[in-house]
This record gives sequence, C-alpha cells and structure tokens, in this order.
Amino acid sequence: MKQRFVGLSILLTAALSGPVLAASPGSLIRNETLKSQPSATAMSVGSVARGAAVEIIGRQGGWVQVQSGRTRGWVRLLSVRAGSGGAAGAGIGDVVGIATNKADPSRVVAVAGVRGLSEEDLKKAAFNPAELAKLETLGVTEAQAKAFAAKSGLKAATVAELPTPQKQNNQPGGTN
Amino acid sequence: MKRLAFIFALATLVSAPAYAFKLKDLLNVPDQNKTQQPAAASGTQQKQRFDTQALAKTLFGKTSTEDEIRIGRQIAGNLLGAMPLVRDDDLQRYVNVVGRWVAEQSGRNDIRWYFGVLDSEDINAFAAPGGYVFLTKGLYRRLSNEAELAGVLGHEIAHITHKDHLKLLKQTTLISTLGQAVGENFKGSDQAVQNLIGNGAEIMARGLDKDTELAADRTGVVFAARAGYDPWGLPTVLQDLTALPAGDQRTSLLYKTHPAPADRLAALGDAIGPRFDSLTGGKDFKDRFYRIR
Repeated sequence: MKQRFVGLSILLTAALSGPVLAASPGSLIRNETLKSQPSATAMSVGSVARGAAVEIIGRQGGWVQVQSGRTRGWVRLLSVRAGSGGAAGAGIGDVVGIATNKADPSRVVAVAGVRGLSEEDLKKAAFNPAELAKLETLGVTEAQAKAFAAKSGLKAATVAELPTPQKQNNQPGGTN
Repeated sequence: MKRLAFIFALATLVSAPAYAFKLKDLLNVPDQNKTQQPAAASGTQQKQRFDTQALAKTLFGKTSTEDEIRIGRQIAGNLLGAMPLVRDDDLQRYVNVVGRWVAEQSGRNDIRWYFGVLDSEDINAFAAPGGYVFLTKGLYRRLSNEAELAGVLGHEIAHITHKDHLKLLKQTTLISTLGQAVGENFKGSDQAVQNLIGNGAEIMARGLDKDTELAADRTGVVFAARAGYDPWGLPTVLQDLTALPAGDQRTSLLYKTHPAPADRLAALGDAIGPRFDSLTGGKDFKDRFYRIR
C-alpha cells in the first residue's frame, strides 16, 4: 500500500514537472565544483571528487546537471562518464541503452545475439563495385551542401583549432 | 630475410629510371572484366607488382590527391563488401548533406566527399583517404540529434584531412604487404592498390595511435562547431558510449582501434576546458533529425 502510494506520487511528480529525462547513473572522471547554474561564473554549491557516483539529471550545452548525495548542481559535460559501476569499470547488465541519459526507448537494444564486426570480417571483405557506385551517386556537391546550410540557418562560425594538450600523467578513471 | 627482400625492393625502386608517379600514367592493368589467359597471367602479376612498388614509392613522398582518392576508393569498396549500405536513400542523402557541410569547414575542397550508413549493428565509424566516410547503423541509432551526427562525421573528416591512414600506410605497408599478389579480381577493383593495403579492408581494423584519435576528436568537435552545430555533439556521443558494458560485442572493434571513451572524454575535457564557454547558439536540430525506420 505504501509502495503503491510512493509509485503514484512519483508518477504525479513526473507528470507535473513536464518532460524530464529519467535520471541515469554516472560518475566523475575528475574533481569538480558543483555549480548552481550551467555556467562557469555561477555560484558553487558543493564539490564532487573524481570517481564519485552521481545521478545524471539533464544536460544543457556543455553542462550536465547531477545529483550527488543531497546536493544537486551542474558540472561540465566532459567531466562525467555515464553508466553504473563508478570510475572503476564498465556498467553491468545485458541490456544497454538504459543507463544513458537519453530517453528514446528504441535505443534499448539487447546485446544477446549480436555478433560484432571482427577484424576477420574486414580481412575477408571483397571489393563491392555495386555498393561503391551507389555510394558515389549519393554524394552531394559543395553548392548543395551550402544551400542546405543556408536553408537551415546554419552559419559557418569562426572557431580556432584546439591546442594539443601538454603531456600529463593524468590517468582518467575508468576503462570502458 | 624479410628485411633483405625489403632492401631489394627499395633497390629496385632506386635503380629504376625516373618515372612519373602519377597513378594514371603508372597503371596499365589490363581490363579485369575479361578473363585472362593463363599464359598472360604471370606477366600481369609482374606488372601489378611493379605498379604496387611504384605506388608504394609515391607514399614515401607527398601523395597526390589522385593517388589518395584511388587508395581510399579501394578501401571503401572493400569495406562495402563487408557491410553494404542501408537501403534508405533519404537517410543516406541526409547524412551526405550534413557531412558535406561539415567537411566544407575542413577547407579540403580538392576531393569529393562521400558519406554512407553501413548496414551493421556494430557500433563504429570509418574514414578512408580521399573523402570516404562511413558510420554504422548501430552507431547512427544511438544518436539523438544532428549535432551528434555532425560531431561523429567531424571526427572521421578530421582523419581524412589529417591524412592519418595514408601516414599509417607509409609506416607499415612496404614491410608487410609489398609485392604480395592478392586474390581474385573483382570488377572495378584496383589490384595495385589492393596489394598495398593488404587484405580486404583490414587497414580499417588497424588502429591509429591514441594521440591520433584524440587529435581527430579535437578537430572533429571544431569542424562541427564551425558548421554552426552545437559543439557538444561528439562529447555527448562519447559520454553515451561510456555507459555500454565493456563486453558488448558491438563495440569490440571500436575499442580495439580507439582509446576507451572515458579516456577520450577526459582528454577532450582537458583540451576544451572553458574555451567553448562563449560559443553559444549552435544548433542541434533534434526535431528534424532523421530516424532510421
């Protein structure tokens, strides 16, 4: 009875708060400060250590909102890896896609029965002229790509090449 | 012994008269559609061996765009032999316009660019020299918007503009595959190039080194951002991949040839830091993103 009530209230909360992404497990791959807003200049509301398990609640730009214990805050997207199991390793389970912060159910695919592409498959691959011809008919011209961008409102922006980082002995957590 | 053979091959190249190493001049492989008479076969093989050596030599220097395309085309044709295209022209066209627009930001307009979604549940993406870019249906299905697609394609476009696979060929080919005569002829297949690249599309299973992959991540993110997309597409895809179990068969080749996604995330984080904080207004077109039926 009590459980049922809890279930109902969760449902109600979800319905009232609109389309929210289901929280999914994640963990920190570096020490981070939790921010009150998705912005570097926002107030700090706490800190999370590398390896700490969090719940990923949402994303905005280059930031993700996480729940760490009782504290909720924003950290940089690139500081968080997804999946349960913390920094030590891979998530467990035979169903994948669930533990992501994406809500599309079609992404839940059972692993069982899917054999991956192997090196041997590539070695044995025989040249396929028909498929290559097909591929080459699908290519678009520079002018077509520009027209597509213009129609979409995609404007080319000036963005500098990222510098090559200095060599660091900074082993990030996790080997997935 | 192998070394001796290699030196001999080099010596042959050095002592050869000055050739123009333009492939079209070099190649005079007989029409492969016609059945060859056994008597002519050995001559053809010799010719192919010579062509391969000459082609390999061009790799020592600056590879011409023409050669680059020819090598990439053969690799692409082989890869398509392992995995055909998804039979969905709308999907393929969509990926081509997005990809071509991202490629526009790379500054390489001396090549045609081709993009294809491969009919495989494996999770991976590939780039072959000369502008051939692929991603699998398995990876495409995990994407949730156009900015993510742009980021994935950006990474592959970066491999092509950095000429990573050509460099790999330069490092490894002569020793391992020079002069090998390979298999049957297929219509349109380029034997001299095939001799150079080993068996089938195995070069796509040979990993580039870690720094090369991380560099492609950095450049890929920048290309997508230059195209007007939300720069967080590729990082989001990498983050999504960190959630997959390590033993997932669909990622075994990806992880054999790439650093672990968590390491890629960390490295991108180091590189980007606060640099994109002022970069707002990038688009992700979640609503129009093409979903595979």
